[in-house]
Amino acid sequence: MLDYAVAESEMAEYWYIRPGYEKAVQKHFENQQEPEVSLESLIREKDFNEAGKGSAEVKNVLKRLGIDPAILRRIAVASYEAEINVAAHSLGGAMLSHIYQDRIHMIFMDNGPGIADIEQAMMPGFSTADEMVRELGFGAGLGLPNIQKNVDALHIVSEAGDSTMLEFLIFFNDNGQ
Amino acid sequence: MDNKEYFHAVHIIEDNCTGCTSCVRVCATEAIRVRNRKAHIDPARCVDCGNCIVACKFHAIIPQSDPLELINKFKYKVAIVSTSYFGQFSEDISYEVAKQAIYELGFDQVEEEAMVTDFMIQMIRDYVRKHRDKRPILSSNCPTVVRLIQLKFPSLLPNIFQIEAPMSILTRYLRDKIQKEKGLKEDEIGIFLIVPCPAHVTAVHQPEGAYKHLQDGAFAISMIYGKVHEHIKRLQNQPTPDIVTYPKGLTWALSGVQADLVDCEDIRALSVNGIDNVIEILSRVEDHYLDQYDYIVLRSCTNGCVGGFFNVENPFVAMSRIKKMIKEGKDTPTDLSELELLYKAGEFAVAPLSPRPIMELDKDIKTAIVKMKQLNEILTTLPGLNCCACGSPSCYALAEDIVQGKATIDDCLVLLKRHTLENIQDDILKKNKSKE
Repeated sequence: MLDYAVAESEMAEYWYIRPGYEKAVQKHFENQQEPEVSLESLIREKDFNEAGKGSAEVKNVLKRLGIDPAILRRIAVASYEAEINVAAHSLGGAMLSHIYQDRIHMIFMDNGPGIADIEQAMMPGFSTADEMVRELGFGAGLGLPNIQKNVDALHIVSEAGDSTMLEFLIFFNDNGQ
Repeated sequence: MDNKEYFHAVHIIEDNCTGCTSCVRVCATEAIRVRNRKAHIDPARCVDCGNCIVACKFHAIIPQSDPLELINKFKYKVAIVSTSYFGQFSEDISYEVAKQAIYELGFDQVEEEAMVTDFMIQMIRDYVRKHRDKRPILSSNCPTVVRLIQLKFPSLLPNIFQIEAPMSILTRYLRDKIQKEKGLKEDEIGIFLIVPCPAHVTAVHQPEGAYKHLQDGAFAISMIYGKVHEHIKRLQNQPTPDIVTYPKGLTWALSGVQADLVDCEDIRALSVNGIDNVIEILSRVEDHYLDQYDYIVLRSCTNGCVGGFFNVENPFVAMSRIKKMIKEGKDTPTDLSELELLYKAGEFAVAPLSPRPIMELDKDIKTAIVKMKQLNEILTTLPGLNCCACGSPSCYALAEDIVQGKATIDDCLVLLKRHTLENIQDDILKKNKSKE
């Protein structure tokens, strides 16, 4: 695993890259390519009626682009999870989805209050998540570890008392090729 | 695969169609368009749910089943009656008489879907326990739901319960049995279903994943109802016949009761009915948000098969009657050992279903992206009223149709009106200028 945390004074940062995807991920962030299609959606604080609509919209676009069903399901889970996270735990925010020919880059930004310890947030029952989640009836439910399980790269930047930015990459083909 | 011809039990009678777009608005898969003032159904998209039949006020959309005379082609005629049939009669008509009336239509043997309900429940539990990695398992009995998954939720195809529906299991079992017992050839036996909905007619004529020859035709409950009623009137004055019935098996017609039966210590079951609910639930299953369930009963019609469009009674009244029959009925001792042997031999397995992708704009992702960009651009120029006057179900659908070359921007009446007004104003301005 290549995940590591960079501890700075007030700012916490977390990186995860699925083994084998290092080059593809690096290329993505270095090239700053223009996305082919972009979608934007607001996420309101504690609005559980609306939360999930942004992800549903992304799912509909991806189906129209003919993305492989198994990859689509991974995107759906990670995106829904991240969207619900913002609605449930933050003061609200927005999600941005950039679709490229071979990948999707999703960015979730909130208006605070920030995650004090990302490492800890990544912890809860990672190894047992599956069964626990299912018994609880949350389906995906357990937040960040579940996002990480479904993505090829995950990057979180948070400032305690301020905003959090979570972004992830999922490639449409294996190894990002 | 794209050029495959699809059979459908739902048809449009052009002469009656006024082009009103009522059907376009209610179609769950956006399969209908009005072009040149007539509705057309895209056979690749239609799932035979029947929403359009109800919406049409001009009798222009008609469900079809086979003509009853079809049975005369066969030496030995067998009817398999769907469970919902028995909820269609007033309470003074007994279960036995309702069943006897089917014989009077000209059948040599009448069997009931209800006979194998118990067996189905056992198979479902067994299947769910053997496929824990694929949970939740999705019921496959409703042909509309199966086709909906093929069209809109292909990622869930592995979750489908890959075992034949009860009426098909019975068909498989009876055809062999009758051949042996009566010394008849396979093609001398005609096996027909009496069905609650057009989707079951479609499934008989174009089964998904079937390995073997199944039924020879399907008759709508509504079509035989008039004749059946005449026979019942006569039969009611005669002594009650000695006919076997399966009251405990009638649960198959009710999606909620069926889920309750599958539910047990190690299996959690959920029941969903009504096509809009089904679509919402499938989308949540896709997001892995219903993984706590092991089995989901999905039925396109209200309350399950009692809500099918070929039934004559309201789904709630029919449900209440069937519940009463289940409550008052006794268990019917049935020997299922032969069925169990066939199940173990894999005789009821269904081939893995292939997707019917209708949503993708193009097979090639690069072209699909180009089309998506065009679509978004067109969408910004459309009024966003979703008025349906163009004949497509929404502005988004029109944009999609334009990109796919199936419509043009001129189909939008709102834009046409705006442009015409602008042109008139321009003309007036020009004339005024020339006068000066």
